[in-house]
Amino acid sequence: MPRILLLNDTEKPLGELRDALQAGGHEVLVATGTRALLKAVEEQQPDVVIVDVDSPSRDTLEQLALIDRHAPRPVVVFSADADEQLIRAALGAGVTAYIVDGLAPARLAPIIQVALARFEQQSHLRRRLDEVQQKLQDRKLIDQAKGLLMDKRGMGEAEAYAALRRQAMQQNLKLADVARRIIAMAELLG
Amino acid sequence: MTLDKPRRRRVLHVGFVPLIDCAPLVAAVRLGLDGKHGLSLQLHRQASWAAVRDKLLSGELDAVHALAGLVYGVETGIGGPRGELAILMTLNQNGQAIVLSSGLARELERGRPLRELLSALPRMPVLAQTFPTGTHAMWLYCWLAAQGVDPLRDIHGLSMPPPQMPAAMAAGDLDGYCAGEPWSRQAEALGVGKRVVRSGQIWPGHPEKVLACRRQFAALEPETATALTAAVLEACRWLDQSPDHRRQAAQWLAHADIIGLPAGHLAACLLPPADEAPSTCLRFHADGQVNFPWISDGRWFLRQFRRWGWLAGADAVHDDALLAEVHRLASYRAAAQRIGVPLPVENSRSGPPLDDPQRE
Repeated sequence: MPRILLLNDTEKPLGELRDALQAGGHEVLVATGTRALLKAVEEQQPDVVIVDVDSPSRDTLEQLALIDRHAPRPVVVFSADADEQLIRAALGAGVTAYIVDGLAPARLAPIIQVALARFEQQSHLRRRLDEVQQKLQDRKLIDQAKGLLMDKRGMGEAEAYAALRRQAMQQNLKLADVARRIIAMAELLG
Repeated sequence: MTLDKPRRRRVLHVGFVPLIDCAPLVAAVRLGLDGKHGLSLQLHRQASWAAVRDKLLSGELDAVHALAGLVYGVETGIGGPRGELAILMTLNQNGQAIVLSSGLARELERGRPLRELLSALPRMPVLAQTFPTGTHAMWLYCWLAAQGVDPLRDIHGLSMPPPQMPAAMAAGDLDGYCAGEPWSRQAEALGVGKRVVRSGQIWPGHPEKVLACRRQFAALEPETATALTAAVLEACRWLDQSPDHRRQAAQWLAHADIIGLPAGHLAACLLPPADEAPSTCLRFHADGQVNFPWISDGRWFLRQFRRWGWLAGADAVHDDALLAEVHRLASYRAAAQRIGVPLPVENSRSGPPLDDPQRE
């Protein structure tokens, strides 16, 4: 059963939500401010954080997501009113789920489950995207280095590529790193 | 602009965070400048920058008072959602500060190097700013790095709502922070910390808060975007016209719906100090020098994001194409001409005097 951190730092009563989560068998931690939030995240490592849409601590959660990029936590936003557009934007945008006040307690557990699953999927997608972007970046560097070799050494394309590969193998470096060195050297030497 | 023709004023919902530099938006409403330009601005106070961003992206808000860095953070999707935003104008320059706990500040003043002071602490130093990609994070990180402190490895950095910072410092949770006024003076008032540097000393004339909207809004409703820019630009000009105007603004900001602190306290933050160079102090207009959405300011933020490893690649052509979309120069120019604010010849200004090692 996921461990849930309920951040209670606005005037909206979260008591009902806590009761409903506990009734559903969740372990519920409650933090009442930024200080308690940081302590709870560090020491008790909740699986999900539930936060009011108007909580002043939301920026603290953003920073946690940035510095701890490999272990971010799904954030569920709690709102008193169901502005459909806001919910849709938030869901498209990093917030994993959206709970509206007055939601039947029985429906909470499945939402938490879906939030966790969805978060896993998003993290996976983000990692994939990072990989693809890195590959694209490497590709550009390699092409640039190849172009330099062809230009300055009069090599053919296949020959330039083979030279890069040979350097990479001899120096036990990645192809992109060899390319980066060649580009840097070319800039230095003009 | 035809003022005599009766027509319904366009209502715009504008978000702000309760800080001194939301003054241009409040003044625009109080002076009736929104009505003058055919608009009716409804101001909505927000508790976090995350809420400002989400409500802007969702369409619940039409425009917002935002940290300049936040806009570029959303454009590049760092640490949060990606979205297409637009900067209509800069609202203010300078006016932020870095505070250290009293003990550290005292030693620093005696000339001991910051690096040495921080590494002598019994724990990893804890320093706060207001938003991961925000301006305060940038000023803090630049200041630390310039003194040989690596902001990503040598300190524990966190984001926190500024009203909680002085108390967190008093409780011993924070060794320092960077925030806007009135929150650095508050640490001094409580006797728990001391301002060691004003942001205007780090980069005189740095951009701070901007007036931002969705890109789609700026592109599809250019007339409304220009009218909004003109109304707020006029308010900025008014704020820089005389100290009396700033005193008046302090009264408005003191209102419980805006900041809700005593007017005298806010006036102390708003009024230009006599003994400091104006180019390093909080300013809202300076003949439009403050408000022009300089392309070079955007380049600087993107470079910093790369410097801290949040953004891959370095493609100047791509950056400039992006910034040409984000910075709404045409809309700003039209607004400035409408109310007679001088325009610069160039779209960029001379660079910030910060170290800027793009490649290590």
